[in-house]
Amino acid sequence: MSPVSMAMRQTPLTCSGHTRPVVDLAFSGITPYGYFLISACKDGKPMLRQGDTGDWIGTFLGHKGAVWGATLNKEATKAATAAADFTAKVWDAVTGDEVLTLAHKHIVKSVNFTQDSNCLLTGGNDKVLRIYDLSKPEAEPQEIAGHTSAIKKALWCNNDQQILSAAEDKTIRLWDKNTKEAVKTLSFDASVSSMEYIPDGEILVITYGRTIAFYKANSLDLIKTVDAPASIHSASLHPEKDFFVAGGDDFKLYKYDYTTREEMESYKGHFGPIHCVRFSPDGELYASGSEDGTLRLWQTAVGKTYGLWKCVLPEELSSENSEILYCPPAEIKA
Amino acid sequence: MRSSMKTPVSVLRLPRGPDPNSRGFDPNSPRFIALCPTTVPSSSSSGSADEGEQRLRAELRERFLRTLLLMTGKRVRFDMHEHVRVHARFGASDIDVLNLQVSDLETPLGVQREALLRCQDVIACSFEA
Repeated sequence: MSPVSMAMRQTPLTCSGHTRPVVDLAFSGITPYGYFLISACKDGKPMLRQGDTGDWIGTFLGHKGAVWGATLNKEATKAATAAADFTAKVWDAVTGDEVLTLAHKHIVKSVNFTQDSNCLLTGGNDKVLRIYDLSKPEAEPQEIAGHTSAIKKALWCNNDQQILSAAEDKTIRLWDKNTKEAVKTLSFDASVSSMEYIPDGEILVITYGRTIAFYKANSLDLIKTVDAPASIHSASLHPEKDFFVAGGDDFKLYKYDYTTREEMESYKGHFGPIHCVRFSPDGELYASGSEDGTLRLWQTAVGKTYGLWKCVLPEELSSENSEILYCPPAEIKA
Repeated sequence: MRSSMKTPVSVLRLPRGPDPNSRGFDPNSPRFIALCPTTVPSSSSSGSADEGEQRLRAELRERFLRTLLLMTGKRVRFDMHEHVRVHARFGASDIDVLNLQVSDLETPLGVQREALLRCQDVIACSFEA
């Protein structure tokens, strides 16, 4: 173990550019050009960034209302967004061009591609899940009805054969894509604030109130729950399933050991509640989006050389020929 | 004591922010060059239908921009949602036509010396040329 990592304090990287709260974010898979990050913002202008550095690549222009959900396909060649202008849009994530506009009857909150990027799942305030075949965009989408309140999040799972949806009706439902029937329903006392699906291991991470809960995605059997010090809006499990991170109302990011459920660290930095947090596909960093309009990138292994972070031995910091261009002042709280 | 204060991790630089003048997606980036088919339009027969549509689009866009120019400084009536109808002197639009800068906006609460109208709220505008 590096002697340096024990003494280092987390330096989050702030990605500015949005002018309103950042409400959703998603990573792509790992591509030959690295991995990418898309952020949904109430300013209506979702942005694409390089995942490991946070460098802005482009802004998807076209929505006429707050963007509530955003996603990338695995290869980061397509993006999809869900907005308050009653549309979901599909974009070319390389050129930034709008490819498709899918009209809905109410605010759209969630979008999700299948693994092969051929189908798009949408869900929103009209309480209906819709499946669009992107090779036949003019065709009517398949519809799945059942929720009694606005849908907040809808995800493909189990090899794209099933769908998980969370709604304001305080339920999470597991649907069979072919029969369009609900296979199982989970009810809660509070509205579920976020949902993350981990295909490798079929784990579902959900948050409600102060709780972060882990379920088996195909059976909706509970694995474990953890309670945080404050109301949590979003959580994400590390790809290796050794940690998870969570953030919410108290502006802090919490890092927990998944096995022992113990809180390991907490980080201040945001100036507003945290709305979304996700681990990168390689697990080296996690990104958080906040009411303060920023995205921040946080290292999983603090002090490691990765992306824009550079591991510097204490002697190097004071040396005259140090290459480091920027060392944050000590007043910045980790 | 210095050893009890953790040293913050150093960074090479901060993440690059958006370019104020463009929407990004640099066509010279390695990814763009590798993944995008050539953007030079071919002169094949399928191209002519697209060219025709493009020409029409360009004409409509030019007409719209000229209308905005003609509107500058004039007294304009804005018909907006919720049966709102206001008069103001039109100043300018922003580059994405998201906001309209107006002066002496007559509202039920009085005359607003300077104001911004949100384009998505405007249904129509009319003026004497």
